[in-house]
Amino acid sequence: MQVSGLTKSYGRLLALIDVSLTIRSGEVLGLIGPNGAGKTTLFECLAGVLPYDAGTIRVDGRPLTPRARASHVFYVPDAIAPWPAQTVRWALDFTVGFFKGDADRKKDVIERLDLSPFLGSRIETLSKGQRKRAVLAIGMLTPHPLLLSDEPFDGLDLRQTREVGAALRAHAASGRTLFLSIHQINDAARVCDRFVLISGGRTRGEGTVEELAARVNPNPSNRNPLNPMNPLSLEDVVLALT
Amino acid sequence: MSFLRLRKAPFVWLLEKEWRELLSSRAWWVMLALIGPLVGVSFISAVRTYAELSGYGGTAAGVGEAFSPLVGVWAPTFSACERAAAFLLPFVPIRVVAGDKQSGALKLEAQQPMPALWRVSAKALVLIAGWLLASAPALLAVLLWRGYGGSVYPPELVTIAFGHVLNAGLTIAIAAAAASLTDHPSTAAIVTLSVTVGTWILNFIAAVHGGVWERAADYTPTAMVSQFQHGLVRLDVTLAALTLIASGLAVAAIWMRLGASPIRRGYESSIVAAVAVALLFAGGFATTSWDTSEGRINSLPEADERALSGIHEPLRMEVHLAPEDPRRTDLENKTLSKLRRALPKLQVTYVSSTSTGLFEQTSAHYGEISYDLGGRRTSNRLTSADGVLETIFSLAGIAIPAEGDDAGFRGHPLAVPPRRAGAVFYGIWPASVIAFGLLVRRRQ
Repeated sequence: MQVSGLTKSYGRLLALIDVSLTIRSGEVLGLIGPNGAGKTTLFECLAGVLPYDAGTIRVDGRPLTPRARASHVFYVPDAIAPWPAQTVRWALDFTVGFFKGDADRKKDVIERLDLSPFLGSRIETLSKGQRKRAVLAIGMLTPHPLLLSDEPFDGLDLRQTREVGAALRAHAASGRTLFLSIHQINDAARVCDRFVLISGGRTRGEGTVEELAARVNPNPSNRNPLNPMNPLSLEDVVLALT
Repeated sequence: MSFLRLRKAPFVWLLEKEWRELLSSRAWWVMLALIGPLVGVSFISAVRTYAELSGYGGTAAGVGEAFSPLVGVWAPTFSACERAAAFLLPFVPIRVVAGDKQSGALKLEAQQPMPALWRVSAKALVLIAGWLLASAPALLAVLLWRGYGGSVYPPELVTIAFGHVLNAGLTIAIAAAAASLTDHPSTAAIVTLSVTVGTWILNFIAAVHGGVWERAADYTPTAMVSQFQHGLVRLDVTLAALTLIASGLAVAAIWMRLGASPIRRGYESSIVAAVAVALLFAGGFATTSWDTSEGRINSLPEADERALSGIHEPLRMEVHLAPEDPRRTDLENKTLSKLRRALPKLQVTYVSSTSTGLFEQTSAHYGEISYDLGGRRTSNRLTSADGVLETIFSLAGIAIPAEGDDAGFRGHPLAVPPRRAGAVFYGIWPASVIAFGLLVRRRQ
């Protein structure tokens, strides 16, 4: 998927300014930026749940029509509790049936995200972390080749973050492309193959840690300007570029 | 089995989801619990009055001989459903539509390539089913009435039930549109109740000013339900209700399309509004109607109708009576509403300079009714059905039909008190709703 010149404003506030990026098939791409950078707005524009003012989105060189988008992209928003009165088990069945997802994948997703203890619980009764995993499972059961997930680690403790990270990596290994919006840079570094840095509604860089580091410090023989004792980490790159 | 479940079409999944959401909606359970006592109060009071007029408890028997269950029992009993539709039902669609927005479910569901109108239709179908379930106390009233030995004329009951389903459909469509247009359920509730109050204001203005307001007020839910409650099915009113229901649902669907810009959604909503206005205007020309009442209370005597069917020229009437003049109300309700059904080419113009007519009594023409039938003119001050018909027949040169031997509908008096109704509506119904609710909650 190629995104170019995406612009979105809320009245006078420019939320996205000329955003361009490329999502490669099968990769785990991280969208990194501070709070208010425009991460959620970008995801919602890509998913078609928010209209944008200008720009183009193409898949394999062809413009992404609403119909093509519905079969190509699925977006899991942050901080939602869909169908709160229903059980997690029913929500997963509904997802598979309504979105024509892969029923065979359900058992694996339940195991990887450790959903078994609360499959029979109503979504409204789940803790923040449990709800996050249940919602992520909904996304993982959809059949769309590209999954956008907004803050997949928000509300998870350290152990859960690692488990969910591993589940996402395994999910990507099954052939799905993931685009994850993450504000915890360490988590992003552990899970993602490449990164898009966004700040103030603009893309500030795109690439692997090494590629981004090269933009901060073009001469590798020079020392890390931010931390002279160590090579540039993703954290350093983000701080330097955003 | 689980494989078969997952093979269902997405729309069936959506229906199941909406049904489960309805069952988990407190607003629906509250409506379900309250509608029993509401219907009970109306039914018990209506049956008691009916019994007294039929000679129960020492009152003079015979007063209620011409009493029809339609007017005496079903109209007041079903009016409880009208109150429930105005004050309880709006919260159910608002909860169903706004709940999806607030929980984030809409953002997920909107990514299924299903037209938004289908998604709204699934909600509407389930809400109508929910309303039909909530109308069960009215069915219990019918069963109790039968148990008392009361007469039931099915076409009347079907007409009343149809009218109340249409009314519920209107409420659902308006509430769904309001919930879809606004950001918060409380705002949607205010908008929906404002529409209801607005129609009452329209009825009030119509009663005071008449004219175009009177015509518009014919299509308010209150006026529409009142006609169905009298066993009258008017095609124009039915078409208007269906148009408004479809428009409300279309607007709800338009504003559920999250990816469309507000300007586009506003533009599409204006197109829906324009089409609705055009359909309402066109529907106004439909003059077909059906009187399903056993006593033909919306029709002139059959002999008069047969004679009137021989008049093919347009009849124009100019009535010099103010909107609040009781003679005008009498003329309209007892004669003209029936005459319009027999003479579709009838044109009535009301003329008055005040709303009450109190200070027009001295005017020379006040109280006069002028007739123009194919150029033949006459005028008089007769407002009774017999007087109006005699004038028309004389203008048309038709002999006044003789009264038939058949004296017509004699009514079904029933001097029986509303036994066991209190226990059913105030005890068994609420207890059953609570038990059913607990069972459903446990099973979910």
